[in-house]
Amino acid sequence: MDHPGGGMKLNKEMKFEIGRVYFAILGAVVLGIGIAEMLLGVTGRSFEWGIMEMSGEFLLWRGLILFFAGTFYLSSIQNFSDIHQLAKTVMASVMIWIIAGMKIFSMILESIPGGEEGGWFNTLEGFLASYSAPYIPSIFLLPFSLLVLYYIKLVESEEKMDGMKEESQPTGSGGDT
Amino acid sequence: MKLTVDERWDLIDKIAEQVVKYGEYRYRLKDAIADITVKPLTGIPIAIAVLYGFWSFFGAFAGFFTDGFLVKLFDNHWLPWLQEVFPGKGGWLYYIFVGDPAADNCFEAFGVLTSALFVAIGVVLPAIVAFYLFLIILEDTGYLPRLAVLVDTVLHKIGLHGFAVIPMILSLGCNVPAVIATRALETGKQRFMMAVLLAIFIPCGAQLGIMFKVIPGHVGFVMLYLLAGFFVFGFILDRLLPGKSPEILLDVPPYQRPIAKNVTRKLWMRVKSFFKVAIPFVLLGVIIVNLMYLTGFLGWLANLLEPLLCGWFGVPKETVGPLVAAFLRKDLAVAQLSAIEMTMPQLVTSVVLVSLYFPCVATFAMLIREGREGGLKGVSQYLFGGLGALIAVIFLWGGLIRLIWIILGVA
Repeated sequence: MDHPGGGMKLNKEMKFEIGRVYFAILGAVVLGIGIAEMLLGVTGRSFEWGIMEMSGEFLLWRGLILFFAGTFYLSSIQNFSDIHQLAKTVMASVMIWIIAGMKIFSMILESIPGGEEGGWFNTLEGFLASYSAPYIPSIFLLPFSLLVLYYIKLVESEEKMDGMKEESQPTGSGGDT
Repeated sequence: MKLTVDERWDLIDKIAEQVVKYGEYRYRLKDAIADITVKPLTGIPIAIAVLYGFWSFFGAFAGFFTDGFLVKLFDNHWLPWLQEVFPGKGGWLYYIFVGDPAADNCFEAFGVLTSALFVAIGVVLPAIVAFYLFLIILEDTGYLPRLAVLVDTVLHKIGLHGFAVIPMILSLGCNVPAVIATRALETGKQRFMMAVLLAIFIPCGAQLGIMFKVIPGHVGFVMLYLLAGFFVFGFILDRLLPGKSPEILLDVPPYQRPIAKNVTRKLWMRVKSFFKVAIPFVLLGVIIVNLMYLTGFLGWLANLLEPLLCGWFGVPKETVGPLVAAFLRKDLAVAQLSAIEMTMPQLVTSVVLVSLYFPCVATFAMLIREGREGGLKGVSQYLFGGLGALIAVIFLWGGLIRLIWIILGVA
């Protein structure tokens, strides 16, 4: 459909088709990382690749959660526009937000105090060093999982429109609530 | 003004016309999300993620205050200052209030103004605030009732139902309100079972906070071991105790955004009531244990119980002190264990024993109070039934952990 501005405006089906492909790819990546973290967690090993690392406390649990998140993404791609399926995508993203959010939260808290031998508060160098790489995979997955917010907004605006349509139709009292 | 029945119905109709909106119910995204959090296939992975968030938040928040600031405050400033200004170094009053004059940290000093204050304010306060804050957010969003629905099937295997998860989780904060929360259960059998199981197997937030400090790498193992005990002994109690375990209908509210004012008000109320119970017992605990040590009673008791502690549980006889303190405060007892020289398996066993051992005095008093509802019979059921279960658990479950170490070749 031609947009008055000259560009193309995507219709709803197209948007959900793009979402389906996007979350299928993201799901496969999340699932793969989840399996890798679980294997490393079980064998007690760690892995570092550039600025990403798979190690530390609760590695097995993080892997398990990412494994489930990946499964949720992949199981939601069939009939993606259905809200039951979208709910799975939302929860998969929420699971990534929990892991990444808690990591960022602990990084912030760890950057403030001055360490065992230091003063009450950290030095500027120490503070900045607390945020340096390597990072856990969920931190990298976080921005990619945020696309789900667009689909939530899309569905909610549709629900709102339906609600307004309903309200404009005359209804008598005494019906079903 | 008195209304007839017809007038009353007319009034109801008028109010309903003004306040009730009629329309077709539409299934929305929020409902779909609510549904998948209660279905086992999707709900259990989500519950695992929530619990992961809970532990991470607990560790980061409590660690920030305790390790970041309070350890420094107590060890580098408060303890040296007290050791310098408190009169009568070496005297019994000094020993009770400041503790060991050679100690260089508040954990090991073991005085009322050093260890007791550090445990209560330096370790327990941040842990309790972190725990209740997360719990209140889960409560106010509407997730807790969904968790109850999820675990319903599992808890039915031991004669309880999903709603028992509320006292179980509350117990991770403090056993005292958790025992009161057992009133929400349907039958006397369920109430007794739940109260006894949580008093024995579920460590409180204060104890958890100290466990994270004393055995940071083994808290997961201890928790799994205690959880396994909860279900094994729950299953046995369900078979042994007479009474019914009926089904219930649980009302699951919709998800909603927590209101900051409600969260802070609830948090303040819970932390305040916890401290009213905790602080006097922590201070009293240190006084009693120090007096027992000074009079030689603790040494005599340690020698008396040596065959049992060393022979059956495989822990040093010095653990008798923490076990006595555990009756007053379990967090205090775990802190005391860290000052005793022992191997890691022995330390883990001792922490498990302190957890299984007699509930703290506040919980014990609450158990008796709950029993009072059933008169003299109720009190004796809670007192003797609870004690019987406790003795069986401590010998069997406490002895089993030593067997595990022997099998693993580390004992």
